[in-house]
Amino acid sequence: MKFTLIYPKWKKLRGQTEFHLPPHGPVVFAATLPRDVEITFIDENLETIDFNHQADCIGISMMLTNQVKRGWEIADEYRRRGMKVICGGIATMLHAEETSLHADAIFLGEAEGRMEQVLDDFRNNRLRKVYDYRTDFPPIASVGTARRDILKRQLYNYKGIQMVDLFHASRGCRFDCYPCCMSFVGGREFRPRPFEKVVEELTAIDNNRLYIVDNSLSQDRVWEKQLFREMIPLKKKWCCHPIEDHDEVLDLAAQAGAWFVYQAIFDTSDFIRNRVKRYHDFGIGVEGTILLGLDRHTEDHIRRLIDFLLEIELDLAEFTVLTPFPYTRAFADLQGEGRILSYNWNDYTCDKVVFQPKHMTPERLQQLYDEAWKIFYREKPQPYRMFELFKRVIDKEMADGSFQRQRRTRANRKFGQSEI
Amino acid sequence: MIEDLILKLKKEIIEELNVENMTPEEMDAEAPLFGEGLGLDSIDALELVVLLDKNYGIKIQASKEGPKIFRSVKTIAEYILEHQKK
Repeated sequence: MKFTLIYPKWKKLRGQTEFHLPPHGPVVFAATLPRDVEITFIDENLETIDFNHQADCIGISMMLTNQVKRGWEIADEYRRRGMKVICGGIATMLHAEETSLHADAIFLGEAEGRMEQVLDDFRNNRLRKVYDYRTDFPPIASVGTARRDILKRQLYNYKGIQMVDLFHASRGCRFDCYPCCMSFVGGREFRPRPFEKVVEELTAIDNNRLYIVDNSLSQDRVWEKQLFREMIPLKKKWCCHPIEDHDEVLDLAAQAGAWFVYQAIFDTSDFIRNRVKRYHDFGIGVEGTILLGLDRHTEDHIRRLIDFLLEIELDLAEFTVLTPFPYTRAFADLQGEGRILSYNWNDYTCDKVVFQPKHMTPERLQQLYDEAWKIFYREKPQPYRMFELFKRVIDKEMADGSFQRQRRTRANRKFGQSEI
Repeated sequence: MIEDLILKLKKEIIEELNVENMTPEEMDAEAPLFGEGLGLDSIDALELVVLLDKNYGIKIQASKEGPKIFRSVKTIAEYILEHQKK
């Protein structure tokens, strides 16, 4: 059976340097398909879809809200040509009703152990409109090694530098942060994968640099420490979401190759100042993710926050505007108060104001957002800060002998270009 | 003296960093290296560090000084001259 899996293109943050990471959802999903299924994967961010190609079934994997409208267009086009389309992924869960208007079937939830049945239904022409496993999580031990072999790896190589591979060691999140939909998507119960599975998968990844995409590693101290102990011999270098602020945990994380952490910076408190300092004390970089537009954010507050970021010597900053994604507390509040200004999901890029802020006009918040990028990167431009962060990982690799020099023949290549 | 060094640096940058469609004469020695200006990126910065080490024996650490040195071709040349005097 020929199964074409498509990852629709989406618009990146306009203030950020362009980069393309190999997507994780599709490769995790691909691992749930029976091995006799022949998979062709197309990442539309880097490739063009040939709608005339031969396939028995089309799968569309969508992670982000601003992917869904493009995903629906792709689904419509394939269906117009008489092909069956199944949609899945986080954004399908967030936009299930609308997506079902464009697909023969939508799959909601985690796919492990379920795809044999779905494909059997497909072969026997009895595909159900909705496969709803949203609250029925499969055993976490059934999560296998992601099928990274379906990726065209050269597409994720920039000037000879292979981008990080994505990996997850757990699902679920016990936190329920205001702008985040993960408690709806993966539940609030923390579900760690067995360590032998984690190590097996990490060992199989042909890349020394990773992005551990777990919602937060700071979920369970005993687990977190053991995870890092298991990782130390592998000599991988990685970035991730928050690590717990605890001496032994941070020390083990550094030994296990923690490169930098993607940390929410939500105020100008000593708590945040100390949090960033503690990572730095252990040689771990910090990319701050700064959300602007919360109800406590006055213009003065935002200006002070930007100054604060420079003061605490963040390595990188990624600014976003509060965006009310469905099934978040932010969405419930703003919708309840009639403050959502756009339901055009293409606008949900996190760099556009789509709601009425409490203390200013949407236009003013938009201006402050654009200024934030400029002010933060005025003295040290973004490429220079990225270089510093990059040098940090190279120094770590040099120190433990895991550094591999880039292939100079690829030095002139950009993302998405075929190999010279 | 500095003019000669700037010209040499320009040639090395074009060669080592594979800067396309630009001659040394077209390269503005005072233009910012990153973003608008020469448009170098983080990988280019890394290559520059290697270049300065290899060709001039200068080791640039990622520090507060770095952005000042890497502001333009001219500032790099000034840094090299100052460093070599010591």
